[in-house]
Amino acid sequence: MKPTLRRRFATALSVSCAMAAIAGLPAVASAQSAGIAPEAKQILKASTDFLASQQRFSADTRNTLEVVLKSGQKIEFNSTGRQSVQRPDKLRADRTGDLVEQVFVYDGKSLTLYNPQDKVYAQVAAPATLEGMLDFARTKYDIVAPAGDLVYKDAYDILMDGVTEGVVVGKAVIEGVLCDHLAFRAPQVDWQIWIQEGSQPLPRKIVITTLDLPNAPQFSVTVTRWNLKPTFDAGTFTFTPAAGVQKIDFVPN
Amino acid sequence: MSRIRNLKAVVISAALPMLYLGGVSSEAPTCLVFVQDAGAVVGAPLTPVSAAGVARRTTRRVVAAESASTQQQQAATAQQQSATAQQQSATAQQQSATAQQQAAAAVRPPGAPPVGAVVSALPAGCKPETKGGVEYQNCGGVYYRAAFQGNNLVYVVQ
Repeated sequence: MKPTLRRRFATALSVSCAMAAIAGLPAVASAQSAGIAPEAKQILKASTDFLASQQRFSADTRNTLEVVLKSGQKIEFNSTGRQSVQRPDKLRADRTGDLVEQVFVYDGKSLTLYNPQDKVYAQVAAPATLEGMLDFARTKYDIVAPAGDLVYKDAYDILMDGVTEGVVVGKAVIEGVLCDHLAFRAPQVDWQIWIQEGSQPLPRKIVITTLDLPNAPQFSVTVTRWNLKPTFDAGTFTFTPAAGVQKIDFVPN
Repeated sequence: MSRIRNLKAVVISAALPMLYLGGVSSEAPTCLVFVQDAGAVVGAPLTPVSAAGVARRTTRRVVAAESASTQQQQAATAQQQSATAQQQSATAQQQSATAQQQAAAAVRPPGAPPVGAVVSALPAGCKPETKGGVEYQNCGGVYYRAAFQGNNLVYVVQ
């Protein structure tokens, strides 16, 4: 039996206020243990609504993943990715890095996972919409689509599920772009998001801190380039296996 | 395979990172070999921008922690495999039948991992063998077949 997401969040932890690293900031200090600041909600909602209204977009990302060894030592792995989305039923995500080279393709009918270096792919019929496909992939096969959280039309509700605290840390510059820096806490997870200031409130960076693992490893994604008017070619959302690429199975949940 | 590749192989395929927590090996000639033996603790899903993915990982960890032993987890994995076989198409059923024939025909070496067990990396010295159009890895008489478990490439004992 697998606890549901909600059940997991219902297992509330009494997490102490551990914002010592930025305790010197007045906005943060005054907002500690004060629930979720309305302004933080507002900025996040504006961002997720803006993205939900975009019919086609692509985002290039730079990602870091911390791995904690048994000794307690942290090792960081890096990757880059490109997510291409065309609502309501197309998605492609390419990732290349230290750990894995993987392509995720959804053409409105099936989803394909392809590891070019390993020369293997697996394919399964999928629901007819992005949201349906993402739910299907996660619940049936434990496959997490890159950028999935942000693709959902109701991304705000997904991100805020279980959140107990939220603050606007202040202004920050990410990749040369002025952003609002928000910080949220949920049981077992702290996360931060940097959202572009102005009429295009795009997420520019996200950091996820996992609290219930030794040394609280972090996962971060920085968007190096947003393209809201991308040109997708015929092959972007279709997968045709090259010669010598073997088809394998998914192991269902 | 270099040490770094060994480490990567473990981390790439850490679909079940928590399963390895119970199997800590005391044999640690070098740091990275230790990591391979003991398994690394993966702190986040290997997927960008997914707070929900963290939730999934946490859920999985809770499930792992609730299990009494690795053997139970392997049994659960075997059940998953069984479920897989049931759900597969006619073609896949043929493949399954082929695998069963192989299992019946071949004498399994002593100490071989149980059929249906999932491993994140193949043992050393495997050779690919294609039977019935399906590629298997023959590792000292134990056959493995590649599969995706979540986003991770794993090998299932046949």
